[in-house]
Amino acid sequence: MSFGFGGGPRGAGGRSASRTGAAGKAGAKEAGKRYFFRRRKVCKFCADKIDYIDYKDVKLLSAFVPERGKVLPRRMFGTCAAHQRTLTLAIKRARNIALLPFAAD
Amino acid sequence: MKDRVYEILFIADPNLGEPEVDALAAHVQGYVEKEGGRIQKLEKWGKKRLAYAVGKHREGSYVLLVVEGSGGLVKEVERRIRVTDGVFKFMTVRVDEELRKAERRKARRGVEDEKRRARPTTTTRPFEPAEPEGVQQ
Repeated sequence: MSFGFGGGPRGAGGRSASRTGAAGKAGAKEAGKRYFFRRRKVCKFCADKIDYIDYKDVKLLSAFVPERGKVLPRRMFGTCAAHQRTLTLAIKRARNIALLPFAAD
Repeated sequence: MKDRVYEILFIADPNLGEPEVDALAAHVQGYVEKEGGRIQKLEKWGKKRLAYAVGKHREGSYVLLVVEGSGGLVKEVERRIRVTDGVFKFMTVRVDEELRKAERRKARRGVEDEKRRARPTTTTRPFEPAEPEGVQQ
């Protein structure tokens, strides 16, 4: 069924030209990386439209804290800078009141 | 000055029964009201396992109070909680500013969504009538 929609954009002449241009550029980039393809990570808080990261929401926070209890760098979860800052603060607050561990024993 | 909003979260001894925890919560509520604060919310989470040992405790009963008041109120309430038997850990967090920020973000996103919806998604251009001839005369 979804194939039916493919015809639309292809029909528009100007658009398809610009698309091939972009594809060419992306191809060059991939050649540089060559060996692995990584899915682009998207900030969960942006995607789910979470405005306020609550320190009381252990279920949400524990998804971003490994067993050891560390705060992991941004690159692990793909959170955006702004959300990583608020996430870190929330984790630290949760630790303070024994909702999350400082370090697992 | 406008009152601030604080969340007071405290952990009571897990050996206390439900009515005793209720009494504790009522006590703290009393401290707040005595200082001229307003209670927005009182939540009892029940017994929860602590993420780490606090003293000799491995679990505790969590009670959350959302309170409106001044900084002086927090100072006094915290002092009183400290001398209250049965509470072995507590934390007060000011939340009004962050909640306000979140609210603003939400509002802004609402506007942006509205804009996105208003923008035409199809590639068809609106009908433009051809220039009537003889305009340049």
